[in-house]
Amino acid sequence: MGYINAILILCGINIIAALGVSILTGYTGLFSIGHAGFMALGGYVSAILVKEFGVHFVIALLAGGAFAGICSFIIGYPAFRSRLRGDYFAIATLGFSEAIRLILNNTREIGPIKTGAAFGYMNIPSHTTVLVVVVAVLLALYFAHMFVTSQYGKNCIAVGQDEVAAQMMGVDLLKTKLMALFISAFYAGVAGGLLGFYFAYLSPSFFTITKSSDLLAAVVFGGIQSLIGPFITAFVLIAVPEFLRALAEWRLIIYGFLFVVVMIYRPQGLLGYVEMNLNFVRAGWDKLRRKTGPAEG
Amino acid sequence: MELFIQQLVSGISIGAIYALLAVGYALVYSVYNFTNWAFDAFMAFGAFMAFVAISSLAMPFWLAMILSIILTIILSVGSESLAYRPLRARKAPRLFMMISAMGVNLAVVNIINLIFGGTFRKFPVESVQPIFVGNVSIGRMDLIAGLISFGVLALLWLFLYRTRWGLGIRASAIDIQTAALMGINNNAVAIIIFVITGVLSSIAGVFYGIKYAVFPMMGIVTIKAMIASIVGGLGSLPAAIVGSMLLGVLETLVSGYISSSYRDLFSFLFLIIILLFFPNGLMGKNVDEKL
Repeated sequence: MGYINAILILCGINIIAALGVSILTGYTGLFSIGHAGFMALGGYVSAILVKEFGVHFVIALLAGGAFAGICSFIIGYPAFRSRLRGDYFAIATLGFSEAIRLILNNTREIGPIKTGAAFGYMNIPSHTTVLVVVVAVLLALYFAHMFVTSQYGKNCIAVGQDEVAAQMMGVDLLKTKLMALFISAFYAGVAGGLLGFYFAYLSPSFFTITKSSDLLAAVVFGGIQSLIGPFITAFVLIAVPEFLRALAEWRLIIYGFLFVVVMIYRPQGLLGYVEMNLNFVRAGWDKLRRKTGPAEG
Repeated sequence: MELFIQQLVSGISIGAIYALLAVGYALVYSVYNFTNWAFDAFMAFGAFMAFVAISSLAMPFWLAMILSIILTIILSVGSESLAYRPLRARKAPRLFMMISAMGVNLAVVNIINLIFGGTFRKFPVESVQPIFVGNVSIGRMDLIAGLISFGVLALLWLFLYRTRWGLGIRASAIDIQTAALMGINNNAVAIIIFVITGVLSSIAGVFYGIKYAVFPMMGIVTIKAMIASIVGGLGSLPAAIVGSMLLGVLETLVSGYISSSYRDLFSFLFLIIILLFFPNGLMGKNVDEKL
């Protein structure tokens, strides 16, 4: 049971971060290969808040997410303002996350707080349970759904489809992109926080480019402009390698080939453009009602 | 002062490697409008092939270099025809090309990782005595790397601007469809471009491997080439070269006088500062995203 729990928790954490990447990449069309950096920021900040300052862990998670979001402006603002091409924005995110990892790797202490440099930050209070993760995932999914169906979300989709057309329709490119980046970094930060509270330990080596590739893979396979697609693939991509340990070192090679195959045969991803909704429940209910009774009308 | 000049030379030689990479990216981007993410995997592949040729097959350095270039060309052209050509054929958005390239990158890097393991290896060249100019000692490998890199860049320039094939590539860079209508064979252009890419990445990989180490993730250094081309100004080969030199020198000075562990941090800060104050790069024209 403990093993299943562990997988569920890791899947949930991955799902939250992947939902964040989906908002940025799937909806707004901005590629990030540096979300591990935001996870690291959120993770360390929320861990430090709980361990050193005794903040409640929920508040610490939100604060960690907010911190990651604010830090995302460091790359977001200069990159979007100079209208850096999408590819170069991706490079900027990769550079950013590598820089974060580098700083964490070389910082033994911040004032009196021992962050442990490359050895990792130890003895973080354990708070992440299956219940916490499930609640967090549901909330994350709910808010992501609310966001992408809101006017702001529609702006993001417009920017992702065609920047010039979006601008002509009066969408503020800079603001929209920054907002998508903020939310996406916030999600990554919360996921990082949950990770720290689960392992009771954080190390810069958790947050390498491999982590970022995993998240991007979830969105690419899951499908663009879809929340449920990345949700499913983020789950599968963590759970399957856990059960097939022998495949572990082949995982990224397979991802690589799948990237190419998916792009050639099903570029929109598994569930691209498929929105999560409950229409099928209503449709079923209507059908049932029509069958059982000629009640009204 | 001697130390400073030594650092400068070393910086220019690493800058020359960045320039090879930056030019390789710029070439693919200018024609196909996507960043060839697989480039860094090619670089690691080239370095590993030369490494194997020297350490296991006991080849002399120059022969290993040629072998590595040939194998990298095969990989580069092969990935073009498998991963990009089907996409180009149905005019897929460039985003798909980019993801496809990321896939090639993931697969190649991790195959290398699977075969050779993630350890850092020293490139098997005998350490030669540095050359002394006055009191300044200059690493012989630095000199060779710098000279060969500049030589290759000069050849590339001659090829692009002084031959009919080069003209074809430049025409495709302006408008690939019109170029095709004018009788330029698109697939031939693609093959030439990816052959050049293979050559550039293999040379860069070998020299970078000699300077630092050979390891599967060594391609991550291509971030520097990207930073360099943003700093110099996008869309121009000379700007990419100037940016690379600046970044190379800055990095060596930082690792020489401040701390080598913060070297990468400084290059990244440099990028942010340049973007804030020179959004188009130091030498860039005011180019918006190409539509």
